[in-house]
Amino acid sequence: MLENGRYNIGLILPFRMGVWGGEISINKFLLIPNISYKYPITRFGKWQRAARYQIVYPTLALRWFQSPLGMKLGEPDKFALISPEFHIPQMLSFYGELIGSTGSNTTGLITVYGGIGIGLGGKKLDSRTSIDLPGFYSRFSIYHNGILVKAGGEYSRRFKERWSYTMDYDMFIMPGGEGRYAFEHMGLLIWTKNNRFRLQFGYKLIAGEYPYGSQAHLLPLIDVQFGW
Amino acid sequence: MVKHLIKNISLIYLGLMLYSCDPLVNEFNDVENAVMYRAKSIAEAGARDTVKVMTWNIRFGVARLSFFGDGCGDRVILKKSEVYEGLEGLAAKIKLENPDILLLQEVDVQSKKTGYIDQAQWFLDNTDFNYGAYGSMWESQVILADGLGRVNTGNLILSKWELVNAERYQLALRGDQDGLTQYFYLRRNVIKAKVNMPGKPFYAVNTHLTAFATDDTKQKHIDGFKSILDGLLAEGKGFVAGGDLNEIPPNALKLDYCLEDQCESESYHSEGKYEHKEGAYFAPEITWLSPLYKTYRPAISLNEYGTYETKHFTHSPDDKLTLDRKLDYLWTNTKWLEGKTHQEATTLSDHIPVSAKWVVK
Repeated sequence: MLENGRYNIGLILPFRMGVWGGEISINKFLLIPNISYKYPITRFGKWQRAARYQIVYPTLALRWFQSPLGMKLGEPDKFALISPEFHIPQMLSFYGELIGSTGSNTTGLITVYGGIGIGLGGKKLDSRTSIDLPGFYSRFSIYHNGILVKAGGEYSRRFKERWSYTMDYDMFIMPGGEGRYAFEHMGLLIWTKNNRFRLQFGYKLIAGEYPYGSQAHLLPLIDVQFGW
Repeated sequence: MVKHLIKNISLIYLGLMLYSCDPLVNEFNDVENAVMYRAKSIAEAGARDTVKVMTWNIRFGVARLSFFGDGCGDRVILKKSEVYEGLEGLAAKIKLENPDILLLQEVDVQSKKTGYIDQAQWFLDNTDFNYGAYGSMWESQVILADGLGRVNTGNLILSKWELVNAERYQLALRGDQDGLTQYFYLRRNVIKAKVNMPGKPFYAVNTHLTAFATDDTKQKHIDGFKSILDGLLAEGKGFVAGGDLNEIPPNALKLDYCLEDQCESESYHSEGKYEHKEGAYFAPEITWLSPLYKTYRPAISLNEYGTYETKHFTHSPDDKLTLDRKLDYLWTNTKWLEGKTHQEATTLSDHIPVSAKWVVK
């Protein structure tokens, strides 16, 4: 969790700021307004506990996916991930999770979490608007199914003055969906120049069930983060 | 929703553009094995003196629904129930005609636009065929246009006898497209398989040639298809071949379909406009099928076609039920009997089947 008054942003990662003893995270991509607040709650033995709540408004983004370049059907409508023949209704999702952490960056920091989300307004969303791609399908399933259960864990450790790594595991359970689960594992190597600049790179392995069946994808990851 | 929605989606999307376990688009080798299928239950067939062969472009089982990609329609992702209804109609006709070898084009295998149904397996489990050999002409994890999503569509040989040594032969890519479009576009092919009819094996060859190329790609495709038949001829093998050649016979009377095929928003041949619609103007290529006619036996001869042209039309676009051109053919290096153009099936696809009985030597 960021210290009070500290800010952090990545080329890809969201804008985060430490405030009120907790952390606010805001998506900087305007098409998918999204804000979350994480704050510490009581300790349990060696575990520091926290809670996080998030609200997402996906409608603009999903409509944008129907015609990213403003083209019409057959022009061709390049980069469209959702057919423009469908109506995307107004929708909203709420997500809450409990987080537990123990250890430290030098000895190894373990974080586990579990949460549940609900999607509102998706009853009029045609199931054929799903984006059946890794990362997209699991995250937008909440609007098709009305519910999403997520759990996971993370282990991170600094092994040299400027070098650390993170191993992350996420599990998505999508009750009622044609694709019912997704597992994501991420490994990141992080180079921290100072508290103002950080470079991270690694991979993400995503295995999941989609409407067409199961598939795994291995994807490279890279991001640059700035803090102040 | 979930932790860092945008963080993860953005990272993953960036990654997807760079690399994944499977290629985004299957580019295929020049020659590779076909994908083999078999029915849930096998009913072994004996040898015959004549083999009934049929070719049919089934428009991925959506009958005459308003699909955007091959005409003037406005729909992209069809309902699964609509596709099953279309498949049921096709299967009923196939069972009625009862061919021994069926050459299908535009068969979808787990494509988003047709509800991810594996149509190759569906046909095997819902008709009297036992074996199948499939060669995709368009296989991509995602087509980044029009919301098409995952696509896998291609040619399928169905047989009552076992198929072996089935191979997919890559044809030339369209030469009139930019590199990015070409990468995501169709990769036409020819499927060849040995049919293990007891004591009398023969070959089945299936293809679907380019429809919209404006350069000499179609000529290359016809040459590629013919070269495979020439190879079988040189080896002394008997074959049945066919498919949707997207070409009209050399003696066709009408060569320009621009007005018939134009959509509401289009205008061809109006005052000052002499541009032709892609795939609708056949005059420059009218002789391209002549070498096939000269070398091999068609199920419908040129004489028969010339005498009864309208009775042998096999295609009309979109929901227009009046067939207006012949694009679908059967060929052999031996002899056909009872060649037939099934114009009664015009509601089941935008193409209709052509069948004939092949005389086994």
